[in-house]
Amino acid sequence: MSAYIGEHTWAGQLGHVLTASSFVMALLATVSFLLATQRNDDHWKRLGRLAFHGHTLAVLGIIVTLFLMLFNHWFEYDYVWKHSNLAMSMEYIASCFWEGQEGSFLLWTFWHVVLGQVLLWRWRSGRSAVWESPVMTIIALVQVFLATMILGVYIGDIRIGNSPFLLIRELEENIGLPWTTMPNYLQAIPQFADGRGLNPLLQNYWMVIHPPTLFLGFAATLIPFAYALAGLWKRDHQGWMTPALPWAFFGIMVLGTGILMGGAWAYEALSFGGFWAWDPVENASLVPWLTLVGAGHLMLVNKRKSTSLFTVYLLTLITFILVLYSTFLTRSGVLGDTSVHSFTGDGMLPGLLFFLLFFIGLSVLLLLPRTDQRRFYALISAALLVIGVVLEIPVPAILLFGAVTLGNLLIAYRSAFNSSEPEESLWSREFWLFIGSLVLLLSAVQITFSTSIPVFNLLLEPLGNGLRSLASTTGIEAFTQLADARFAPPSEAIEHYNRWQLPFAFITSMLVAFTQYLRWKDSDRRKFWRDIRVALLLAALITAVCVWAFDYTLPEADRVALLFATAFAFTANLGYATVVLKGRLKNAGPSVAHVGFALVLLGALISTSRTEEVSRNTKNMDLRFLNEAFDNNEDILLYRGDTVRMGDHFVRYREKERKEGNLYFAMDYYGVEPRDYRAGDTVRVGDMLFVSQSDHRAGDHFLADQPAHWRPVDQHTRRALWYAPEWSNARPGAAQFTLQPFIQINPRFGNVPEPDTRHWWNKDLYTHVRYADLEADADSADDGWMPDRTYDKTVGDTIVTPTAIAIIDSVYVMRDSATKSMLGERYTVYAAQMRVRDLYRSDRWFEARPVVIYADGAPVMGRAAEIPPLRVKYGLSTVDAAAFVEPSAGQRNVVKYGLTVAEAEFVVLQALMFPGINILWIGCVLLALGTGMAVWQRFRERPSKQA
Amino acid sequence: MKRSHIIAIVIIAVSIAALVGSLYDSSTYADLAQAMEDPGTEYHVVGVLDRSQEIIYEPSLNASLTTFTMKDLSGKTCTVHLAKAKPQDFERSERLVLIGSATENGEFHARDMLMKCPSKYNEENRIEG
Repeated sequence: MSAYIGEHTWAGQLGHVLTASSFVMALLATVSFLLATQRNDDHWKRLGRLAFHGHTLAVLGIIVTLFLMLFNHWFEYDYVWKHSNLAMSMEYIASCFWEGQEGSFLLWTFWHVVLGQVLLWRWRSGRSAVWESPVMTIIALVQVFLATMILGVYIGDIRIGNSPFLLIRELEENIGLPWTTMPNYLQAIPQFADGRGLNPLLQNYWMVIHPPTLFLGFAATLIPFAYALAGLWKRDHQGWMTPALPWAFFGIMVLGTGILMGGAWAYEALSFGGFWAWDPVENASLVPWLTLVGAGHLMLVNKRKSTSLFTVYLLTLITFILVLYSTFLTRSGVLGDTSVHSFTGDGMLPGLLFFLLFFIGLSVLLLLPRTDQRRFYALISAALLVIGVVLEIPVPAILLFGAVTLGNLLIAYRSAFNSSEPEESLWSREFWLFIGSLVLLLSAVQITFSTSIPVFNLLLEPLGNGLRSLASTTGIEAFTQLADARFAPPSEAIEHYNRWQLPFAFITSMLVAFTQYLRWKDSDRRKFWRDIRVALLLAALITAVCVWAFDYTLPEADRVALLFATAFAFTANLGYATVVLKGRLKNAGPSVAHVGFALVLLGALISTSRTEEVSRNTKNMDLRFLNEAFDNNEDILLYRGDTVRMGDHFVRYREKERKEGNLYFAMDYYGVEPRDYRAGDTVRVGDMLFVSQSDHRAGDHFLADQPAHWRPVDQHTRRALWYAPEWSNARPGAAQFTLQPFIQINPRFGNVPEPDTRHWWNKDLYTHVRYADLEADADSADDGWMPDRTYDKTVGDTIVTPTAIAIIDSVYVMRDSATKSMLGERYTVYAAQMRVRDLYRSDRWFEARPVVIYADGAPVMGRAAEIPPLRVKYGLSTVDAAAFVEPSAGQRNVVKYGLTVAEAEFVVLQALMFPGINILWIGCVLLALGTGMAVWQRFRERPSKQA
Repeated sequence: MKRSHIIAIVIIAVSIAALVGSLYDSSTYADLAQAMEDPGTEYHVVGVLDRSQEIIYEPSLNASLTTFTMKDLSGKTCTVHLAKAKPQDFERSERLVLIGSATENGEFHARDMLMKCPSKYNEENRIEG
């Protein structure tokens, strides 16, 4: 199997070599920096730097190689084949790069390398250089783990990581298949000509910038983590905070921006109708951000005076551990059915789990103050690892490890950090910063619990028997439920999280509002109230205006409370920036960021609690009679060309258009004008016909207008009634705008509906197509009708469709002379005589006469009969000519006829109105901007504070 | 009692409440037989679309009602009324998770449904030679 034709094996070999060297270099860097720290030795430090530079080059080389493979469409490589194709435009090549597990690990690794180099560069100028060796040890160690994730080598039968440089013929499932020995398999097998392509959901510009931002945020959490571990290692509990602090806020800024970009992507490209759905993947990125915010703020306190050291350590360490945990949750496959956009396992679970547990263990180990305690804990952990792996009882081993770890954490707290210092004053800034950090931690804990429900099931499984016997002895049913271990995530996930998170958001917002007004140590209460009272008053005013404008009621008191708290946070920080800081831009960063934070919450609160389902369909059958949980009649049906009232607009489905694989649906929106009737106009109301007596403008209700303006018509034809327009008080005004929601047609990944949104300054109208005629079948060309459905019927049969019921009265041959002379003898024309009734109006009848022309026993063409008022058409497709018998009196015709029925083309549309969503986006920008200003300030002021 | 103790107690209490709360709000995975035994209680039921039966979606009658037949993992089938528009590419779905409850007459009313399509993320790339 020496020479395969057309393969570019050198790239894969280069990739493998580079991956291996990145692993080796990271290992070398770890060991060198470790020895440099322990022995305080400059030689080892220099070697460590060299190794880290080597590691950097290797990582960059891997990335360049992979990009080269993608760029040149070398589809013999599995990663290239899976994630790209020829048709895809090159601007999304970056999305291809990180669509898969391996690529996103590379992206993460890349940012660690970049940040590591920035740190090395800053240390070279002498700033906090004592921290270089220990911090770099931790960073390099993390890189060792990340390198194994893409290593793809076998140790025995166990594969470590997945390499992106595998040829398809080298994949496990393909080894030994006959085609792998064909030298010309690339040319011979058509599948290799093109790749599978990129998921259409990811072909969006947000998906080009969101993942790198998010991963830079994740990577930034490593630096405070490494500094904290270095502090514990060197037993310098305060010195690490000054250099780590700006990095913590850098992480807050970047991670926060990344999360919100994800929300923007969801809002723009996904069709679940919103920007945040509390999906496990979203939660997994939010939770570390919450703890990082807590950690960053506590560092501000503790670099002055160590009052809550243990909490700072805990929050800083847990932030990175939560990043690892979120990686584990979303990539190992444990979430299974619960998340729509998590990766599947690919055998990554053991590696990721070890990665996570190792750093939990390392953190707790270093938190223990005494060497003997550390040795004991390390020994037990190693023993549990061996037991878990060798005896193949991982879950009990993990549970035991968890218990031991928790115990040791308590020991660490009791013996090292339980300070006997006097407590802080209630009127001090540090006390409330401490409380705020704990609230953020609790919020993170709650989200983590609920997101981890699938993990609980796995952990509870081995305890099943114990819990079951506990249940039988105590008789408490809850234990049986625990023993069954079949918990599913909350079925009302959004309500669940909103309910739990609202109090946390309330407390956090209040703290954001007033904590800055307190001074360190103790504050003058009078001055405090004097400074803050205007903000308090303004917040109450804003709340009152919002309650009035958005019509909040008493049962929504919790939301009003949060509204007040966020408004207070907004006014108080605005006040702080203008009054206390007197508008000096230099120190305004935190205030700007806090204003942004308040606006994000305020915008989210208003837009989610006041989302209006404008497409709510009142015309159709009420689903609630089926099941009381079914009240979400949230979609509207629009026939093409129809104009329908929807909220504050009339909407008309004008046309659909196919453009580059997308199917666009043009929806015109019109204003709503009052309707004027003239004397003599007739309208239908129910079963009655009315005629207008005078020129007038329609009021709110017909009954109010009727006595003065309308007279019932007693004598009228049926036709006059059914063709009279229904009374309404509004008519479409001028055309205002057009929205084009579309469906990405993608035979490989499935069709994806994408929304289109109209933005106003104070609200958004968000629409997407839920159902449409996709012209997938050959017969359903763009002819204004849905695809035909064919029935086999005989005379006397009925056909029931959603709007109509049709009865076939007879089928006969048209023999009139006009037809004959036109077509000649060769052709036979069959016609079906049908009566069609409105399904909902027993007295509304129509006639239909579809026709089919036969020549020599085969159908040549047909003409369908359309009934526009019922939006249905009937066609006669086949007649069994041989068995056909002319209808005659007293003889029932039993020959089968093929009849086709089609409805007028329609789409099902969902439209949501989000008020105040721009507050959220403005908040996002301010949050990022303010944090950025603060970070800049911190980085700049460092030299002056350096000892 | 020191203030820190009060804070500690509050934290522990809220943590426990959050843990219990997340389990309390959690739903339960069940198969169809279990859901049928307990009509009216909400369950998550995992299964696949029974392609041999018709998927009925008549948007002009009701735009948010889809009726189909699902086969659960133990092989039991059941008629499902889903209170949503028919999802795009429903026919191609590989795995369904229904969220809803059974009725007395042996049907299942799904309030919501999660759907996994085979090729959305990591399709097995089997290439036949």
